[in-house]
Amino acid sequence: MKKALLPLLVVVLFYSDSVFMIFFSEQAFDGAYVPVPRFFFIGLLFMSVFFDRNTAIKYGFFFGFLFDMFYTGLLGAYFFFLPLLVYTTSKLTKWLHSTLPVFFVIILFDIALLEMMIYGLNVLVQRTALSFEQFAYVRLLATLVLNGLFYIVFAIPLRNAFLRLKKVFD
Amino acid sequence: MPQFFTNKRLIILLGSIILLVAMIGFSLRDRDNITWPEKFVKDVTGFGQNIVSKPAGVVESFFDDVRRLHLTYEENEKLRTHLEELAQLESDVARLEKDNAELRKVLEKEKSLADYEPVQATVIARNPDRWYEVITIDQGESNGIEPDMAVMTASGLIGKVQSTSKFTSTVQLLSARDSQNRVSVLIQGKATIYGLIEGYDEEKKMLQMTKIPSDSKVTKGQAVTTSGLGGVFPKGLVIGTVTELVPDEFGLTQTALVQPAASFYDLEHVMVSKREMTSILPEEEDRQQVLIEEEGL
Repeated sequence: MKKALLPLLVVVLFYSDSVFMIFFSEQAFDGAYVPVPRFFFIGLLFMSVFFDRNTAIKYGFFFGFLFDMFYTGLLGAYFFFLPLLVYTTSKLTKWLHSTLPVFFVIILFDIALLEMMIYGLNVLVQRTALSFEQFAYVRLLATLVLNGLFYIVFAIPLRNAFLRLKKVFD
Repeated sequence: MPQFFTNKRLIILLGSIILLVAMIGFSLRDRDNITWPEKFVKDVTGFGQNIVSKPAGVVESFFDDVRRLHLTYEENEKLRTHLEELAQLESDVARLEKDNAELRKVLEKEKSLADYEPVQATVIARNPDRWYEVITIDQGESNGIEPDMAVMTASGLIGKVQSTSKFTSTVQLLSARDSQNRVSVLIQGKATIYGLIEGYDEEKKMLQMTKIPSDSKVTKGQAVTTSGLGGVFPKGLVIGTVTELVPDEFGLTQTALVQPAASFYDLEHVMVSKREMTSILPEEEDRQQVLIEEEGL
């Protein structure tokens, strides 16, 4: 029964992004900064390190697909990038010790990478006219700050949750 | 250094890159509506989204109300002055509507391009990655919503329905950057001027109205509404006011910057308008543009 808590936690994380957007005014900072919530992605990375990598990749595929279909309509983007980044992160954390401060840097790096890949894809399919400098200034910095704050608040609860779930599954 | 990619993983990677390209190509294709697996996924995800976002929306609007509480007095004063004008306006509208209906009966033209049935909807999600200007609403095919219907708020047109599933639909806003995002509009003045809303100026936060004949005189502050000629939107939906006029790059036509009447941000409740008259039977004076299309057939 306790095993059902894992999908539940992931579903909560999945919807947390859009719930954040309900509370957060889109015109904050007069549109000068566009922070993007990546809470689900952070949760997924925690899962890959503190729970199990392959499960995280499967969840990444599945929920990335849902994200593509439900929110963006551009099929394939998150479906592909989320598992890829989970995989590279798990490789990175094998070389670096995954203490929470080190993991903080890794996660910010991953989010920056995800943002840049999504930006690149949008340029490729001509859905945006933003130049890279504008993108870096308007979106990337704000996104890193927002998700950094999220990490600082939720890192320890998330880690504990996944460690406890790992015990349940073992 | 351990080997990063083994053979098997390389094949998986290459395979998924091919899949990625194929799927992106598939979703960018010009299509009327999404396929049934997508509809199914949207309904299931939308069901969860409904459960999450409705309570969140209630809490959010409660805080909004509290924030507005101290403005109540000023607002009340303003509304009171409007109220006096409203009584007169209401009786005028009732009289004109009756006149209009009678005259239509005389002409035997019961329907017009301006008729529509509004369907109320609540916004349940806005794309959290904030790249595409799309929102998801909680009304779908079961309530008679179809792709290409006009979506508006109380203050004006905001976009059109892009795709529908049984219980949700996706709305593309006017500010979305998409070459197919076009609306046939007119500027009301002494002579009616037609044009297209095409594109959005991100920096100035203005819509661009293109294809205005170079000899037509447009003044600042004129109202822009839908023309009903595109065959999609009803006639007469407010879009905004003209703020600036610039010649286009070849000097053959002009482009006007239009200040949108409705805000595209922080949307909560919207209306989807089901147009009643779907065949194109233009008024005598509006006919010229449509005739060209008919000749082409």
